[in-house]
Amino acid sequence: MASQTPAVVMDNGTGYSKLGFAGNDSPSFVFPTAISTKGPAGGAGGSGSGRPAVANKPSFLTGGAGPSSHLSAKRGTEDLDFFIGDEALTAAAGPGYGVHYPIRHGQIDNWDLMERFWSNSIFKYLRVEPEDHYFLLTEPVSNIHRIRKAFPLNPPENRENTAEIMFESFNCAGLYIAVQAVLALAASWTSSKVQDRSLTGTVIDSGAGVTHVIPVAEGYVIGSSIKSVPIAGRDITNFVQSLLRDRGEPDSSLHTAERIKEEYCYVSPDIVKEFSRFDREPEDRFKKHTVTYWNGRSVQVDVGYERFLAPEIFFNPEIYSSDFLTPLPNIVDTVIQTSPIDVRRGLYKNIVLSGGSTLYKDFGRRLQRDIRHLVDARIKASEARSGGAKSGGLDVQVITHKRQRHGPWFGGSLLGQTPEFRSYCHTKAEYDEIGPSIVRRFALLGGPGST
Amino acid sequence: MLLLDYQNVLIESILKDRFAQGPGSIDQVVSDFDGVTFHISTPETKSKILISISVKCFPELVQYGAQAVLEREYGPFIVAPENGYDFSVQVDLEALPEDQEAQDDLIRRISLLKRNAMAAPFEQAFDEFQHLQAEASKYTSEQAPQGVREGGEVRAIHYREEEAIYIKASHDRVTVIFSTVFREETDRIFGKVFLQEFVDARRRAIQNAPQVLFQNKPPLELQGIPGVNDSGSGDIGYITFVLFPRHLTNQRRAEVISHIQTFRDYFHYHIKASKAFIHSRMRRRTADFLQVLRRARPETEEKERKTASGRTFKVQG
Repeated sequence: MASQTPAVVMDNGTGYSKLGFAGNDSPSFVFPTAISTKGPAGGAGGSGSGRPAVANKPSFLTGGAGPSSHLSAKRGTEDLDFFIGDEALTAAAGPGYGVHYPIRHGQIDNWDLMERFWSNSIFKYLRVEPEDHYFLLTEPVSNIHRIRKAFPLNPPENRENTAEIMFESFNCAGLYIAVQAVLALAASWTSSKVQDRSLTGTVIDSGAGVTHVIPVAEGYVIGSSIKSVPIAGRDITNFVQSLLRDRGEPDSSLHTAERIKEEYCYVSPDIVKEFSRFDREPEDRFKKHTVTYWNGRSVQVDVGYERFLAPEIFFNPEIYSSDFLTPLPNIVDTVIQTSPIDVRRGLYKNIVLSGGSTLYKDFGRRLQRDIRHLVDARIKASEARSGGAKSGGLDVQVITHKRQRHGPWFGGSLLGQTPEFRSYCHTKAEYDEIGPSIVRRFALLGGPGST
Repeated sequence: MLLLDYQNVLIESILKDRFAQGPGSIDQVVSDFDGVTFHISTPETKSKILISISVKCFPELVQYGAQAVLEREYGPFIVAPENGYDFSVQVDLEALPEDQEAQDDLIRRISLLKRNAMAAPFEQAFDEFQHLQAEASKYTSEQAPQGVREGGEVRAIHYREEEAIYIKASHDRVTVIFSTVFREETDRIFGKVFLQEFVDARRRAIQNAPQVLFQNKPPLELQGIPGVNDSGSGDIGYITFVLFPRHLTNQRRAEVISHIQTFRDYFHYHIKASKAFIHSRMRRRTADFLQVLRRARPETEEKERKTASGRTFKVQG
């Protein structure tokens, strides 16, 4: 077994990076995609402001090289003076260091910092010699273009840049860059509900910032039909917080709201019934959450209707947002309806959840029921219109599985351990022969033809 | 991060979590440098954590006394090696030492599993050095018997497919030789520059450092050792560290072993870090040039202006 080193799977997301080895069932390391360097925080664009690093500074100061100015003046080992992940946040809390987030909206924004982030991930955390290992990286699907038109698609140049760093800096043995949505589909193969391991399905990927609905047919993303919902984990937290504030709870910090969201929330089949159930049996519905402060003091926070109201904003967005009103099931339905007609059946049959904000209890069941209602209504209407023709019906199935939280990473781990994985990678020799453009195309891993 | 850690961060963090939070099932395969593979699992019950290590050169290490070193470090925790691995320790979460300090020490020791396994030949060589030193002090240099003057045998550890560490003890020093192979042309050049720095550092400032030599031919110490490739093609470099008695005192030994073990990884890490540094400067340069290009616009030329019918205006002097 020692003859083949396990492939390294790295899923660098906007918020968190998931690192580990193929074949494991959970990532070895999950930490914030943050890097702190000597100097002031933020850099161009400001940390967390959501803007990309635009060159609104004097041009000679920024450029592609990022915020660390006067680089050429540094003759010592200043470039090694940085921390990543949780250590970065700790270091940034003290004096002297500023924290940066090299990935914005799923795309790598600052290649300098990313290169150093990778180098530290590989050498300090994973402790591997890149020459000995194959790497599987992920990239977001053609991005957030639906909500923010200003952001371009994930251009192929990003892949090339990644390949340049991976092959030229690290000399890694081989590289595969996979699309996160496809990996999320592969991750769902662990569910007992999935009979055939197809790469056709609809991925609902909901993280901290945004929720994407991505149709995938035979491993290829149908880019024109992707839709995004500006409601995700952070909005749920904010909503919980506002409910706590309205009630005047003793502690309504963002942190508390997040804990409550993660520990107590679930999806109810029907809000009205759920309200009356809370009124009927208050003692086991209402909960108390204890917040303990660092100085040992603690307060009790009541947890009430937000338990089911918070995730409800996916299904009834009007209770939270005034400008975005389409419920998630309708979006999913639209996405599938705008996809090519021959794959729609497969897309309805395999709706896969991925990401932390899909973990609420009964989220999948509710989604499945709502989508099925929409589909059945449409079938009924067309049956009536056709006058007597009977439809064979349509199977709607939402797959909930255990690996949802780190779906893309797990999918990568699953595919990375297959014996044929290496043959799908581009190797260093091929890169040297052809150049960075080689990574524009990858054979479809786990697609038709492979086991 | 100038130096690499000696311990495996993942094992450390997993054990810390488990010690603090109680049992939970684990099943992870973890890699470390030099083709070392760990397997952390809870095969029987959730409270019993089994940590197995597989090292490419384990038979060689055993030959140089690894078993004794590992027994010294992990005595009561050793269990029969897991199938496919070379060595296993098992920690029972229900039978942990009481106080926090002992627990931390246990975590630290286990996360140093690879270091300790690889330390055996070094320890053996250092012991031999002490022995030889004691022997040699009985003679003047001329009359020393053959064995003492020549020093001990060369211990070879083929820790990677193409590379090896050779350790040789003499009565006044211990020589550690790394053979390195670079597959990349650029890496080789970087490596050369780096090694030159090592050689120079001692000459310039740090007198106490071990002597470092770098050459492309096998050094004299390695003559006649089986497996030493003397092709003369220059692909393989030999880095020689000469450790003097002051590095080999009992207080320093552990530190020296840790340092010298991570040498290759340190070396490669820094080659990559310098490349990253150069790349970031290249990106800066490109950005600057692009800026210049963007600013450079052709000046609007004075063109002759015409009316629709083709007549021109003449500026009256």
